[in-house]
Amino acid sequence: MKLLPGLLAVCLLLTGCGGLPYPREMGDMALLRTMGVDREARGLTVTVSTGLRARGLQGETEEPLVLSAARPSLDGACLAMQGQSDSYVYFGYVDQLLLGEELARESVLPALDYFARDRELGLGARLWVVRGTRAETAVRAGEERGVDQRLETLRTDGEMGAALLSRTAGEVYADLLERGSAYVPALSPAGEGSAALEERGYAVLRGERLVGFLDGEAARGLELLVSQPELDVIEAELEENRAAVRVTGARTVCRLASGGEESVELSLVCRVSAQLSEYDRPLDAGERERVTAMLEARESARIQAALEQLQGWGTDCAGLGPRGALISPGLWQRTADRWPQAFAQAEVRVQVRVSLHT
Amino acid sequence: MPEPLDRGPHPRQEPRIPLPLSLENLEQVFENCDDFKTREVFLHGDPSRQVTVCYVDGQARSERLNDYVLRPLAQDPMLASVPEGRVFELLEKGALYAQAAQRQTEMDPVVLALIDGACALFLPGRADALTVPVATEEKRSVGEPENEPALKGARDSFVESVRTNTSLVRRRLRAPELKVKEHVVGRQSLTPVDVVWLEGIADKDTVRRLEERLDQIDIDGVEAAGNLEEYLADTRRSPFPLLPYTQRPDRFCQGLLEGRVGLLCDGIPLGWLAPGTIDQFFKTGQDRAYHWMVASALSLIRYLCALITLLLPGLYIALVTFHPEAIPVKLALSIVAAKQEVPFSTIFEVLIMLLAFEVIQEAGLRLPGPIGATVSILGGLVVGNAAVDAHIVSPAVLIAVAIAGVAGYTQPSQDFGNALRLWRFLLAILASAGGLLGLALGCASLLYHLAGLETFGVPYLAPFTTGAGAPRGHPSLFRLPLPAMRWRDGAVHTRNRRNQR
Repeated sequence: MKLLPGLLAVCLLLTGCGGLPYPREMGDMALLRTMGVDREARGLTVTVSTGLRARGLQGETEEPLVLSAARPSLDGACLAMQGQSDSYVYFGYVDQLLLGEELARESVLPALDYFARDRELGLGARLWVVRGTRAETAVRAGEERGVDQRLETLRTDGEMGAALLSRTAGEVYADLLERGSAYVPALSPAGEGSAALEERGYAVLRGERLVGFLDGEAARGLELLVSQPELDVIEAELEENRAAVRVTGARTVCRLASGGEESVELSLVCRVSAQLSEYDRPLDAGERERVTAMLEARESARIQAALEQLQGWGTDCAGLGPRGALISPGLWQRTADRWPQAFAQAEVRVQVRVSLHT
Repeated sequence: MPEPLDRGPHPRQEPRIPLPLSLENLEQVFENCDDFKTREVFLHGDPSRQVTVCYVDGQARSERLNDYVLRPLAQDPMLASVPEGRVFELLEKGALYAQAAQRQTEMDPVVLALIDGACALFLPGRADALTVPVATEEKRSVGEPENEPALKGARDSFVESVRTNTSLVRRRLRAPELKVKEHVVGRQSLTPVDVVWLEGIADKDTVRRLEERLDQIDIDGVEAAGNLEEYLADTRRSPFPLLPYTQRPDRFCQGLLEGRVGLLCDGIPLGWLAPGTIDQFFKTGQDRAYHWMVASALSLIRYLCALITLLLPGLYIALVTFHPEAIPVKLALSIVAAKQEVPFSTIFEVLIMLLAFEVIQEAGLRLPGPIGATVSILGGLVVGNAAVDAHIVSPAVLIAVAIAGVAGYTQPSQDFGNALRLWRFLLAILASAGGLLGLALGCASLLYHLAGLETFGVPYLAPFTTGAGAPRGHPSLFRLPLPAMRWRDGAVHTRNRRNQR
């Protein structure tokens, strides 16, 4: 037992005390919240923002600190920012990552890889693709209030089903590595008189590149495919009545079936829960049937719209194949290697069943 | 030339007073003792028969001396009529109205009896004496236990008289198996220290060890609890208390019923229980009085508070200085905002605040009650608030230190809380050096230290780690319903584990 303290001391030395974290005072830190990455002709531009900063104990605030640096590498750009601020620029709180469209069309993997490897950054950051412009523009769009609060609101709304599904860099990275495709919510700076950033559908990534965007009904269709529909109100005009139906949930079950030697049949059953929220008078049985049928047709069209685009790009970013594999593992084993091609050519049958609650 | 000081070891002199028993020698022993009194009394007024009564004024109660000794001596006609040779026998066998009268033939017991409040009767021409107890009973009455207040339970507490304390215990445990064995500790104080245990339940070996250690104590006097604790404990290198103590007789008796061995010391209104295990320091006298769910919740809170008081300052330093990424964003932003204008480093802030907390507490304790409270308010609220307003310390540090301090006060044992306070400093310093790694190493060292402690052959961490396969009694983190607590803890080596049908 007397040897134990000595043994502990040796273990302590073997940990490499030189590698102990360096103490830093938080009062001297600029805590970065948002990072935007853009492709430049000869490298990358990184733009970071602290968001609105509190100062003192009386609730005073000061404008966000926005820094930008262009270097051939992400690491170089991040390092260059240390010299631009009189505070220690701390990346440990970056929880929003915005990728410019140009960069996304070229490759998103270097940025994700950097987030995975860096000591301060992490894959828990929310990932957004800035559509039609540079990420730097989006980061600066918040002006004196910053964009981090808007992004945080979008994330919270997304979790509650009131906005686009937000995704972490880790989720997207894992999807890209496992499935070869992923979807990412897209944003763009808004015009005058509205919030700094507004939703612009989903960016679809294949391999490591952006292949296109899902907008409007197709975006809703993607949400149905991943069983996380956005809260949506659908108005139905009946002959002698009026009804408003709120979509509250959906669950999509996917089955794979062999459609011949090489082809695959994809059978999707989407069970939608809906709540009758408004009406002029209580619906009779016939009216309920008509509302249900209308809702089924509407949701089915959304799914078809999404599938049409996804098949066109050959990207199963909703993970339909792996989900179907749970029911047909043998078939999946035969088609997993060529799934993108098989998915693009698959015959898809969509069935929507709506449960209408009053 | 002055007499040289005796610096060498001084073995006890036996007998203590090497003189033959006689009135002259007794007066020589009590030379220069103005409270030593003698009085010659004629037996029934017969000048040919006299007796000398010796006593120590203040130790003997004058009413008892007058009524039970002097009055019979002066008024009993038998004492003047019996043959002279039978006077002593008559006094010993019933002429005096006392519960006991002992014939003594040596000087030591006579002297000690006089100091204890007896009176000694010397008859001319005899080489023996008769001691009669007429001791005064001036002592503090049994009051409420101020350090362990009871909301639901007995309100008596131990006092300074060991005999009163043993009676408080015996009134609760009326079984004749309750054994009380007295030892005398201290060369000059000659303090009675009683070992109390329940025969058939307590471990004989623990009783033997405790008695051996008591007998080995060779000190001048027992004036403080440490005079026993530090001599009886297995190690003196630990700040953690190894002998739990209580002011409450009910809690003391509960300890005896669990198979522990008690210790009561004259002059100290406390009772100790051995062996002391760590769970004892988290228990209160009220645990068995409250509903078991409430008692369990409170017990868990106390364990949680021990962790908070121990770790919070170190954790704050480690997170704020070394691992800010582990702090939730909004908290980090408010810490940054509050820290911006503070000129000191976080490490310095926390350590200084911890020190200031101790200073304020010590000042509050040393001063009389009302002034102490004022100092605490001034120090804690006014100075703290002013320091935050003046940007000398950040509010987060103040809150962290205050929470750690207040959490420490939930510990039922002040000694255990003090040990946690010492380790809190150590862990804060380690966290300052190595962040969470330093803190983790500190915690590992603390566990190593605790795991190495033993009291009377019982691991200190028992019953969490009973070690040698000793069966557990009941959970320690929470309290089961009492009907389910059927077994005494095996770790204390009780001889009878079953405590109810």
